[in-house]
Amino acid sequence: MADLRRPRPAAKQLGRRRDLSAPAGALVRLLLDRFADLAPTVWTDEDTVEVRIDGERNVEVLARLRDDPELNFFMLADAAAVDYGPTEHFEVVYHLYSDLHPAWLRVRARVDRADPHLPTITGLWEGASFHEREMYDMMGIVFDGSRDLRRIYMSPDYRSFPQRKDFLLPDDAADSPAAGVDPLERPETWDLSRFVEAATSSEAES
Amino acid sequence: MTSEVRIPDPLHPERTEEARLRAAAGLAPAPSTGGEYAGFESVGLPDRPPQTEREREVYTLDEGEMLVNIGPQHPSTHGVMRLVAKVRGEVVVDIDPVLGYLHRGIEKLCENATYTTVMTYVDPMDYLSSMHNEHAPAIAFEKLYGVKAPRRAEYIRALVVELNRVFSHGLMMGFQALDMGGLTPILYAFINRDEVVDLLASISGQRMLFNFFRVGGVNFDANDEFFSRLGTWRAGVLKTIEMNERILTDNEIFRGRTIGMGVLSGSEAMALGVTGPSLRASGVPFDVRKAHPYSIYSELEFEVITHTGGDVYARYLQRVAEIKQSIHLIDQIVDKMPHGPVQAQVPGIIRPKPGRAYAAVESPRGLYSVYAISDGGPNPYRFRMRDPSFVSLQAMPKLMPGRLIADTMAVMASFDPVMGGVDK
Amino acid sequence: MALDTKGPPPDTSPIVIPDLAGDDDFREFGMAEHPRGGFHGLLEVIPTRADLVLDLIRANSLWPLLSGLSCCAIEMMSSATSKNDIDRFGMFPFRASPRQADVLIVAGTLTTKMAGPLVRLWEQMPEPKWCVAMGTCTTSGGRFKRSYSVVQGVDRLMPVDVYVPGCPPRPEGLIYGMLRLRELVLQRRGEWPTYVDRGPQRSNWEGDVT
Ligand code: SF4
Repeated sequence: MADLRRPRPAAKQLGRRRDLSAPAGALVRLLLDRFADLAPTVWTDEDTVEVRIDGERNVEVLARLRDDPELNFFMLADAAAVDYGPTEHFEVVYHLYSDLHPAWLRVRARVDRADPHLPTITGLWEGASFHEREMYDMMGIVFDGSRDLRRIYMSPDYRSFPQRKDFLLPDDAADSPAAGVDPLERPETWDLSRFVEAATSSEAES
Repeated sequence: MTSEVRIPDPLHPERTEEARLRAAAGLAPAPSTGGEYAGFESVGLPDRPPQTEREREVYTLDEGEMLVNIGPQHPSTHGVMRLVAKVRGEVVVDIDPVLGYLHRGIEKLCENATYTTVMTYVDPMDYLSSMHNEHAPAIAFEKLYGVKAPRRAEYIRALVVELNRVFSHGLMMGFQALDMGGLTPILYAFINRDEVVDLLASISGQRMLFNFFRVGGVNFDANDEFFSRLGTWRAGVLKTIEMNERILTDNEIFRGRTIGMGVLSGSEAMALGVTGPSLRASGVPFDVRKAHPYSIYSELEFEVITHTGGDVYARYLQRVAEIKQSIHLIDQIVDKMPHGPVQAQVPGIIRPKPGRAYAAVESPRGLYSVYAISDGGPNPYRFRMRDPSFVSLQAMPKLMPGRLIADTMAVMASFDPVMGGVDK
Repeated sequence: MALDTKGPPPDTSPIVIPDLAGDDDFREFGMAEHPRGGFHGLLEVIPTRADLVLDLIRANSLWPLLSGLSCCAIEMMSSATSKNDIDRFGMFPFRASPRQADVLIVAGTLTTKMAGPLVRLWEQMPEPKWCVAMGTCTTSGGRFKRSYSVVQGVDRLMPVDVYVPGCPPRPEGLIYGMLRLRELVLQRRGEWPTYVDRGPQRSNWEGDVT
């Protein structure tokens, strides 16, 4: 297994690489084999292997990762959203576990911030439902095809998405951008009405 | 193999009979009569049109059904949770958990705190296992910052974490009985819990929200007094646990109400994201301590315990077995405890290089993980926590249909959710 | 829920006992004039005197409502179990129904979503009733002071009699707070005001971020 540590033609693109353990190396080789088009996005550190995909492809990639007998990522450990700032994009991050590979697999799906839509993965893992509701509540990412996409923490008439980076917490310092914000009555950072429209129109279609 | 007990529908006996006959004749089930949408006001929620398919399904009532609120203030909801139950007579038809009554915005607060103060914010999350809550961020931040905790610190961490697991599982035994109407076990459980938290307070200085872990080590060293107290506690700990076992494990009523109740198969549990003891009680040997050994768990000897029943009773037995396993681990850790420093050299305000780290630990409720992103600043750019009880709650609507209302609490207690973690 | 944090201004006017001086009908029955105006007499004295006695009983059996909100609730339960045993002071039976409770121990973080149900619980409790704020979260917002979903101090919603600081307070701390409440009940014996018309105790906080 030691030969995996030698630089290989495909693995040259891995970027910053620390202490690649043999099992993680086996996983990287498998991934490069199965997902040739994703090769430039594969990255690894000591116990995580990472793949970046386009948001639209999440169901396809995750289904293949789960159903391939050699990959066998049968468990969704985590699904979370990251906001890279008002001028950037969102990312939905899935962490997967497989009993064949002692490394976590992280799948980062890029989502457009102006139009945050993504297919739901509740068809693959039912348990993703609460994660998706949380992402919708906190970030305002809409998961198309979800049966139960509504606010989970905040009350249904709440209008903002608190975990976006343009939602600022109240601060005591007068020159901070959040100075003078009443913590309980927040200004809207996002208008929910377009989602309501989208939801009602899709209801009418079905 | 436990047989599924279906309680006959008291209001419409012919309905289930008809369904059975249709199924026997190979016909499709009879179309629903088209229930009436009840609206949210009947359960005290703001009245509005249903937003999703699932919401319309839950809040649409067939003949003879009604909606019942359990919570948010209810003695056995383990905090402030609301379950909207659709019932027909005594039988639960559907359940909709309504969360958020304890949402404190901890993730957002952590993103505005320095790496060291994050530890104080994650404490009150899953407040029965604060040590585990701190363990995962500590590992993640150490990965980000590229520092390793000294070996003695790792051993002390493992020690306090296992101590925490003992009292958390012990309390679960008590709450399980309390939610089914037995008051005595909780008294024994709290005796045990008070002993452990006093022990942990003697090393960390706090009784409940310990604030003990630091990036690159722990706050205080364990001194001789701590170890002598630990020895005293170790000598007597099994007394209260065994007392509870004697009350519950062979109790006719307890067995009658829990065996075959809320059966969750391994594949279902996996699809729902249920982890921890509840998953292992369904026969799946997944334990983060073995699957992705962190801290010093690769140096300790233990086996992943599983049970096969998948019901409430199996989940209870699983906890009892894990208490004993934890005590066994504590013995090993104390035996192997090395000498040395307990804190690596780390500046007061740390600024890790940009990067991302994922760390998972096995908390008493399952896989507790942290995903942290650094942008080079003094506070994490993104700090995400995955709480096991939040995900496990999704099993409730799957398990309850066809059961009695009184059993809702028994099933919920068997997942041992803690609302502070569920709502963050 | 739109939270009315402002509320009506607190009514600080003294308790007005109907001024019946001059009405000789009452003197006929041998009623003495009360030092604060009005009459100590058959009609008024009976409830007052009864409360003098009843408050002695109340002070010795303060029954809290079982309404743990979060972490502090575990320490509240701990204070009720064997080791700390608040039952020694007649405070144990944690009532599950607000109709049977005297004291609301707000144990834990109060969020905006839970504020409505908690106020409803408080209003469902029969007079006389007392409120104990347990933990820094309920006294001021504590470590969640900056959060977007936490009510910063339960005294914005209901009058608080005793504040127990700590995060969480030790069970001994809660017991001490409850004993102080007992003293308070004894001090106010027979002349406590009702909370019905008082509204929130403090509408605005010094040091508030507004
Ligand atoms: S004061 Fe501390 S222990 Fe109490 S609810 Fe708040 S955070 Fe939890």
